[in-house]
Amino acid sequence: MEERRYFQGSGGSRPLTTLELVDPDRVSRFRYGIVTWIDKDGFPFSVATDFLLSENGEILLKKPSAYPTMMGASVGVLFNHITGIPTGGYTDRRYMLVWGRVSEDKGFLKLHPEEVSEWDEKILPFDKLCAAAVPQGKKYLESLQPSIDA
Amino acid sequence: MQAPSWVQEVFEHYLICEFTSIDNGKPVTFPLLFFYDNNSTKFVVTSSILFSRKIEHMKKNPKVSLLFSNPEGSGVEKHVVLVQGVAKIEDSDLDHGWERYLPMWRKKEPYIDGFLAAREQFAWFWKRIVVEVEPRKILAWKNGDTSKAPEAVGL
Repeated sequence: MEERRYFQGSGGSRPLTTLELVDPDRVSRFRYGIVTWIDKDGFPFSVATDFLLSENGEILLKKPSAYPTMMGASVGVLFNHITGIPTGGYTDRRYMLVWGRVSEDKGFLKLHPEEVSEWDEKILPFDKLCAAAVPQGKKYLESLQPSIDA
Repeated sequence: MQAPSWVQEVFEHYLICEFTSIDNGKPVTFPLLFFYDNNSTKFVVTSSILFSRKIEHMKKNPKVSLLFSNPEGSGVEKHVVLVQGVAKIEDSDLDHGWERYLPMWRKKEPYIDGFLAAREQFAWFWKRIVVEVEPRKILAWKNGDTSKAPEAVGL
């Protein structure tokens, strides 16, 4: 399960807006977000939190208790719809990972997206995702070659 | 591990975790199936070589985290648990090294055998790397209320 679509906001003549990077309709199909940043010990720190979309399509995250430690840091927000079902396995797989920074806004944390990566198996079926990932598999095998040859 | 029973239930019954590796200082999080053996108190995920960028990240920086936030389908109540730990990569036997986790995998995804039957068709998907995570710190939010401070779980 890795990225299907990847957009980066920097590097162009102007930064992309939130709406150009992140489709609010797609975000609205997720129930909550996982916010992750790097803590003072150098480990990733993740926390689940609810969110809502402003009238302008901006992502407003509910403040988790740990929010002061993420201010100023680069954060990743995962929206995930890979959900377990009682009979085993899971429902339709889709997720969106948005990187950016957050700022305080009317009691919420407003996400300022900079990059997006996402996968939706209804758009890109799993077998096609695997086919698209073959170069990464080849690269990994090649990286192991010296130890195999030794 | 001195985890209360509600935290143990999360580890034993949740289907997936949100797994984060670090790519040049940037957190990269994906939903992943995980395996937990309460005898070893370590967490394991496996990765196909096709989706091995996270493995490359961990070879450079082994600090990772696993968040358990989604109880759906697990039959247990909602709690949120964060495990921060150090990842150890095992990729010396891509074809068979991961197979020792197949019984746990089968329990979580009963139809995995059907997928395994097509192993030749998805040969590189089944070349898998094992990642063993040794916990260094565990924080837990009972009832999933992350607006409150988490409680630390003794290792």
